[in-house]
Amino acid sequence: MKTKMITRMLLMGLAAVGLLYGQASAVEFNLVAGTTTVNLPGIGDVTMWGFGLEGGPITVPGPALTVPPGESLRINLTNNLPGDNPVSLMILGQAMPTDGESASPQVVRNPDGRIRSFVHETANGESGVYEWANIKPGTYLYQSATHPAVQVQMGLYGGLINNAGENEAYAGVTYDDSTLLIYSEIDPALHAAVENETYGTEAYPSTIDYAPKYFLINGVPYTEGLDNFRTFEVGEKVLVRFVNAGLQTHMPVLMGMDLSLVAEDGNLYPYSKIQYSVPLPAGKTVDALVTPAVAGQFPIVDRALSLTNGGSQPGGMLTYLKVDPAD
Amino acid sequence: MNRKTLTIALLAAMLAVMSSAYGMVEGLSGPNFVLGAKAGYISTPEGGSIYTWGFSNGAASMQYPGPTLIVNEGDVVTVTLSNELPVPVSVVFPGQTGVVAEEISAPTAAGTLTLEAGAPTSDPVVAGGTVKYTFTASHPGTYMYHSGTHMDLQIPMGLVGALIVRPVSEGKAVMGHAYHSMDSMYDDEFLFLMTEMDPNINSLVEQGRMDEVDTAAFFPVVWFLNGRCAPDTMGESFVEWLPTQPYNCMPMMQPGQRVLMRLVGAGHDSHPFHYHGNHAKVIAKDGRLLSSAPENGADLGTALFTIQTGPGETYDAIWTWTGEKLGWDIYGHSPDDPLMPNEYAPDHGKPIPVTLPDNKDLAFGAMWSGSPYLGVQGELPPGEATMGVAGSYFYMWHSHTEKEMVNNDVFPGGMMTMMMVMPPDGGGMPMKSAAE
Repeated sequence: MKTKMITRMLLMGLAAVGLLYGQASAVEFNLVAGTTTVNLPGIGDVTMWGFGLEGGPITVPGPALTVPPGESLRINLTNNLPGDNPVSLMILGQAMPTDGESASPQVVRNPDGRIRSFVHETANGESGVYEWANIKPGTYLYQSATHPAVQVQMGLYGGLINNAGENEAYAGVTYDDSTLLIYSEIDPALHAAVENETYGTEAYPSTIDYAPKYFLINGVPYTEGLDNFRTFEVGEKVLVRFVNAGLQTHMPVLMGMDLSLVAEDGNLYPYSKIQYSVPLPAGKTVDALVTPAVAGQFPIVDRALSLTNGGSQPGGMLTYLKVDPAD
Repeated sequence: MNRKTLTIALLAAMLAVMSSAYGMVEGLSGPNFVLGAKAGYISTPEGGSIYTWGFSNGAASMQYPGPTLIVNEGDVVTVTLSNELPVPVSVVFPGQTGVVAEEISAPTAAGTLTLEAGAPTSDPVVAGGTVKYTFTASHPGTYMYHSGTHMDLQIPMGLVGALIVRPVSEGKAVMGHAYHSMDSMYDDEFLFLMTEMDPNINSLVEQGRMDEVDTAAFFPVVWFLNGRCAPDTMGESFVEWLPTQPYNCMPMMQPGQRVLMRLVGAGHDSHPFHYHGNHAKVIAKDGRLLSSAPENGADLGTALFTIQTGPGETYDAIWTWTGEKLGWDIYGHSPDDPLMPNEYAPDHGKPIPVTLPDNKDLAFGAMWSGSPYLGVQGELPPGEATMGVAGSYFYMWHSHTEKEMVNNDVFPGGMMTMMMVMPPDGGGMPMKSAAE
């Protein structure tokens, strides 16, 4: 996000919530939930629901949101989803958001009493406010809090980053460069059922029948010939932020270098953990540092073996840290 | 499993106790290894025979898992892989740095992870490729190696193995230490390499129906420790009736000994490895001591009774047992008797806190020695035999995902074995220790 845009949003945010939070400054984002497609090898376009910044494209994952150090957060959410599908927002590991008016978060129940949404909803065609008075430093997953078994799988998630300081993820954990890796899966049958409004029928009774066929990092499955590289330089201290927005456990393994795991779920470890594997269950975030000593291409491969694109290989959750010689 | 099979298995376990030298993990000594990638068959105890791809020791047949490669810290290790499979294949070494791959003979090709040895062809007749991988084993520890080609297929097909790097001090391997730390000292070490298979996938591959294989639909029904399903885990290593599954998984110890568990998550799934008898202290993960500073030992390790071993992960843990906290004397001593080695002294001479039932009120398990005391043979009724000839204690060690303790729906089996606590004198059995 450009500085100018941040400034504009800061001003808007101050105008909107300045009274509520006194002198605390808030960063403000205008998010839209809507429909998009992702093109998958072998089967073409699959309907997704995703987030986008107002005026920008709807993407899966949604835009990575960076909350500047020390600021609170306000998101104005517009619901452009099809049909009668309310939507909402929460951030795993942060307090539940309020609507800017109520003092506490409000759950939404179905007529039978079951909770449908962990926080207040925004109806189709409407806009809603989601406010967090305090944001804890770390790497987080934001996602829909409404019918998450369907809506998260449909693509309503993204990464959220709050640093303790400039290039400082947590107190004392500094870095030169960083990359955000969001893991997720797609079961095309679920998406077809949602699109055809047959989800919850015999065609696809529930997510308990979830059987993903595609395995994505940042919304893209590994495909030969694509640019699958994240480029750094020898000697750079790189922060890799691992986030699992999917429903399965993955095990990213970095080949050829040790990772130093420094935090999990936005909580700093008392000591870093030196290992090449990153256990990454659903909803987990892990922050890891690596400082390449030599140039080369270092694969990050899912050792839980989600390495197929609908049955064809190679594919799935594979990317590379490409390390160039230092300037 | 019927009673007869169980008896055979337990007999095998007994034979393992009687004749194998244990205390150290079995495998090939390095630093130069020649591996083949070949097809073959493995056996499962319910009668299954599964088409498997495995690594071989040179010209030998393939084995599952591949040979355990044992090297010393600082060794320049070479692994020369020749491919006899119908698909390209390669080897990667997670946790090792600076691995260099070079072509020894064509065909080879750049793969997604490393240089691959190409498949042989029949028309024209061309042998498969050979690739040499070289790296310096710079850290002691427990590691694995596996195919780096189409891993989602080739790992479940069997192309996995363990790699052990022994610590070196003053130019010599430090025996009885897993790492450079007193916390890693052990008397006996055992490998627990965990894998699983979905035989439907192996069958499709065997028939050449590769297009029908969907690795995302992997659904295992057989589970392995060191390439064997229980009760074969408790048989002897290198038996001729399991020619492609040479390694057993039969942990044994004497009271007070320190047992090093080397856990390797070599397969597709995560397994909660659960051991009875005592908690174990986890001292290392992924071949790195869990330590805040070199002088602090394994201070970041925790005691666990279940180690969740994910795919690609390795753990080292130290387990020991003395009978502490049982509340009675495991030897049935009188208070005036001398202590046995490593006996838990506070319970010396304390009687077992129940009235022992008469034999006529008992049903007899195959391992019951006739006595609740360690190393004691008791009276058994006429017609009852025992496999517990040393008067040992047995603790089940297994995956606590209990569906993994079957072979194709037949219980007991799968990812299960027994820890055998032997009497201090071995009950007349040979007892070797890595510390010797």
